[in-house]
Amino acid sequence: MDAHAAQQAVDAGSKFQDLAWMVLAAPLFCGVGGWFFARRNPSLNAALNIAGILIGFVLSVVLLGVVDGPSTATTPFHWLPVEGLDISLSLVVDRLSVSMALVVTAVASLVMVYSTAYMKGDPSYSRFFSTLGLFVFSMLGIVFAENLVMMFVFWELVGVSSYLLIGFWHAKPAAGDAAKKAFLTNRLGDFGFLLGILVIWGVVGTVSIPELAAKFKADHGLLGPMAGIAGLLVFLGAMGKSAQFPLHVWLPDAMEGPTPVSALIHAATMVAAGVYMLCRVFFLYTATAGWPAPLAFLGDLQASTIIACIGGFTAVLAALIAVQQNDIKRILAYSTLSQLGYMVMAVGLGAKAGTPVAAMYHLVTHAFFKAMLFLGAGSVIHACHHEQDIWKMGGLWRKMPVTFWTFLIGTAALAGLPPFSGFYSKDDILAVALESSPILFGVAVMVAGLTTFYMSRLVLVAFFGPSRSDAAGHAHESPRPMTVPLVILAVPSLAIAWFPLADYIGGQFGAHGHAKVVADESARVGVAPMLEGMSAAVNDALFGPFNHNLLAATLGLFAVLLGASLAWAAYGNATKDPLPGLLGRFARVLRNRFYLDELYEGIFIPLHDFVGTVIDWVDRWVLGGLVIRGAHGSVELFGRALRLVQSGNLQTYTFLSAAGLAVVAWFILR
Amino acid sequence: MTLLNTLILVPFLTALLVVLVPGNYRFVIRCIALLGTAIAAVLGTVLFFKFVPGGAGFQFESSYQWADAGGLRLAFHTGVDGISAGMLLVSAVVGFAAVAVSWEIERQAKLYYILLLSIIGGALGAFASLDLFYLYFFNEIALVPTFIMIGVWGRGDDRNYAAFKITLYLTLGAMVGLVGLIALYTRSGADSLDIVKLQQAIAAKPLAPGLQDFVFFCLVIGFGTLVGLFPFHSWAPQGYACAPTATAMLHAGILKKVGLLALLRVALPMLPGAVSRWGWVLAVLCVGNLLYCGFVAMRQRDLNLLIGNSSLAHMGFAFLGLATVNVIGVTGTVLVMVSHALLAALSFALSGWLRRQTGTIEIGQMGGLLARMPFIGTVLIACFLAGCGVPGFANFAGELTVMFGAWHGLPAVVVVAAWSGLVIGGVYMLRSIRDILHGAPREELREARDAVSWWRRLPFAVLVLGLIYFGIFPNTLANRIRPAAAEVVRLAKNTGPAPTAKAATATPAPAK
Repeated sequence: MDAHAAQQAVDAGSKFQDLAWMVLAAPLFCGVGGWFFARRNPSLNAALNIAGILIGFVLSVVLLGVVDGPSTATTPFHWLPVEGLDISLSLVVDRLSVSMALVVTAVASLVMVYSTAYMKGDPSYSRFFSTLGLFVFSMLGIVFAENLVMMFVFWELVGVSSYLLIGFWHAKPAAGDAAKKAFLTNRLGDFGFLLGILVIWGVVGTVSIPELAAKFKADHGLLGPMAGIAGLLVFLGAMGKSAQFPLHVWLPDAMEGPTPVSALIHAATMVAAGVYMLCRVFFLYTATAGWPAPLAFLGDLQASTIIACIGGFTAVLAALIAVQQNDIKRILAYSTLSQLGYMVMAVGLGAKAGTPVAAMYHLVTHAFFKAMLFLGAGSVIHACHHEQDIWKMGGLWRKMPVTFWTFLIGTAALAGLPPFSGFYSKDDILAVALESSPILFGVAVMVAGLTTFYMSRLVLVAFFGPSRSDAAGHAHESPRPMTVPLVILAVPSLAIAWFPLADYIGGQFGAHGHAKVVADESARVGVAPMLEGMSAAVNDALFGPFNHNLLAATLGLFAVLLGASLAWAAYGNATKDPLPGLLGRFARVLRNRFYLDELYEGIFIPLHDFVGTVIDWVDRWVLGGLVIRGAHGSVELFGRALRLVQSGNLQTYTFLSAAGLAVVAWFILR
Repeated sequence: MTLLNTLILVPFLTALLVVLVPGNYRFVIRCIALLGTAIAAVLGTVLFFKFVPGGAGFQFESSYQWADAGGLRLAFHTGVDGISAGMLLVSAVVGFAAVAVSWEIERQAKLYYILLLSIIGGALGAFASLDLFYLYFFNEIALVPTFIMIGVWGRGDDRNYAAFKITLYLTLGAMVGLVGLIALYTRSGADSLDIVKLQQAIAAKPLAPGLQDFVFFCLVIGFGTLVGLFPFHSWAPQGYACAPTATAMLHAGILKKVGLLALLRVALPMLPGAVSRWGWVLAVLCVGNLLYCGFVAMRQRDLNLLIGNSSLAHMGFAFLGLATVNVIGVTGTVLVMVSHALLAALSFALSGWLRRQTGTIEIGQMGGLLARMPFIGTVLIACFLAGCGVPGFANFAGELTVMFGAWHGLPAVVVVAAWSGLVIGGVYMLRSIRDILHGAPREELREARDAVSWWRRLPFAVLVLGLIYFGIFPNTLANRIRPAAAEVVRLAKNTGPAPTAKAATATPAPAK
């Protein structure tokens, strides 16, 4: 309670943090209001939900302008007050949370507008928007959560809303299976996250993130031998949500949900929550390495190194798989996996540099262009009557110009072509990698090449060449509520990196992604100085990568060009995929996702089922059978034996009486 | 008369009224029962919110002494503390819901409602009693009708075996518990079975270690059986599978918690030595509940057996909280008790509806029901998500608190608990949702109807809203529980010599 009062005193002067409350409350309020009062009026419900998120967006913009250093919006609402464990619903308002909130509300409102057209005529239109509203609320909860437990609460709620949305078309068996798989895979990660929280709480005694950050700043060895374990356990949570190997299998299946859901949840926001969370608890990964006695052989190995390797591996794995997928949404899903691997790798590598800003930077740019790509794919699917196989499309660029051009911008951004935003954020990651790990740098460059290759393949096959099906032949541009969000999203996809975004976020960590470290942090606060420095910053931002780390930028660009030309050679005029012929068995392995899904379904679930069967058998036959039936049987046997005595036969009774008397007499006279 | 005594009396008075109505006036009987339990539910809610959080000791306390047989004084001593406040609320609410879902009972309705009301009254009485005699007495009043109800209105071919099994287990359990209570009383030196007086007498002059151990095991086995402590649990799933819906709701939701209450009222505060020596036994056995019953639940294809086993797995959290003997853990146990009462009642109410509508309880024979019954389906999803510990529902708050409480002493068990709650629970709950609700609607289930009228929906809505309310505001419970939990822990940790002046002031005022 003391800390609470002190915090309140600190915050008394500044009220702007309370705006964060409204960012969080607006979607909830409108969503709940819509559900209770406008469920029977779907358009009104949708409008209410959109309005709530737009309010959140506007307020986030305001917050972006006024937020200075980290601060906390405290609350009198103590969710769970027990001695030694006071969990309150306070919010942390800093550059990290505000920029993330901005991304979430911006993408969410556009996706919702898009959905008004995409979901038109669906019998569960209202349910769709309400669940989406629940998702946005939970996601903002993760963004602003001040303590780890509250973050876990919203973390799970995000998982639930994702579950409900993947299984939105519940009559489709595949949707039900995918929803179940997504939730359970995430649960494995959450198991680790929860234990990680417990480990940290057990050693430090608090779950409040700002308090933890302050304590870690004062003492890097705070967790002692538990540092590595805590870091990895918390990372397990991120592995689930951000779909890192080996918990990545749920994300491609999650594409069974409606496409706007894929765009918002499974591309831009929820899957990025893992990366965001890692940035939030970044102090865990800059702490001194330490392992408990049984793992002492790990020595100085940092948890962050393991994280970087897992991220890099996921990036390559997913990019390889994406090369041989034919479903437009699945290609994008594996691309998301691969980019998430990039971000996670950047977090891990950033630990050495002391800042995860490269990851956060890529998260922001990726959120916009990947959401746009998914919405574009949705527009294509919508036009082709729910055809998702790229080999049954073709020639769409003329028929759907808006979709095509925005999709092309997204592709360029994802591939990392200057001056599109993806180039800058990806270059930041490449630069960080080059500084700390040549191997991972090589991996990152390879992924850049692969990314360009599979994205060019997608564009060349789906948008160019002849129409390969009737549906594609009769396709026409989607209605305006769908194309307008695409156009709006194209703007940040192109240009968001021209703003000193990395500097802004990096200010929080005392350093930033580019070469120069912000010497005087106070000079770079707020929107006004940001605008002042803009022309210089734009200049720096546009050509920064080449000034900053020429080798990284050049190699990255080279990989992109290589990937693009290879794709042009292979798919420029292809009517069918030439790769299976060239690669043979390897292509099949890729198409079958390295058989990982089958492997899990063949091991993890059967293992649990096997244990369950054995124990069930024990319960039924040993405990239930032997003990209970045994008790039952022996009582009954005893009863039957006694019944023999109760024969009603006078002679028997007389005999027994006499025998009894004899026994008694023997006892007395002995 | 205090509000509390009124609350206890209402179900019994209602039962008396039902006795006076001719048996063929089924509608009248049902209306009376509904009205009576609705009044009880309102009284329970008023009581809960009138209870002043943060206050130590008992509130709404009253005592009527009626026997003074030499060394034994018996008094009808009732009162509420944080441990019982939540349970009284949910008992009254679940009681109402149980009567409300009983519309399908046609045979011998009069007897049915009399027995049902006795269960509700008995449960309320047991939670309110501050005298061990009454605690035990009310517990039996509540338990015995359940045996009869399973036998008479039960379902399935196994029901006689199930009734036999549940009777055998629970009667034996209650007897073992009684032996412990009598041993405790005779050696305590107190002149009554009053819980407060016993606690004072024992705090002043602790029992001999050997006797403490004996009583502790009697109580753990006796009352543990009632809760479904591994390995004395196997009566539960089958008993619930065969019980009529309302009986399963009350038994799994409410009556089980009486056993936990007895452990909280007697075993922990009165046997500090035994708790410090043998508390680990609870921690070990609760792993059985968490893992073993969780795995068994995973294999069930009968929805009721699944719910029964999963509810046993949830009881593992309650036992784990007891085994921690710290304020966080004990608070968590009470949170789990309250939230699980709502959850278990809701689960069985839903399975009763599904059985009635589909004519089966085999999960494999259902499918695609969400399209046919959006309301029941949605509530079922909420219920199952609550069952696998999703935040926003009360169970998460309880289980989380228990895990935090147990982390310092029993980290390995917490790992098991987290695996059981998050992963195993997730597997069987989500599988059930997938198999029952998702997928294409089945042709042979086209007769299945949703709950359409608000009247049919009310019991489900009340229970699910309760789960959500305490999920969002667990502090309303935790603030009430905390002082009582602190008192239990203080006494349970009191293994040293007689307490000093500080402890004496913290002890609740003796009864009038």
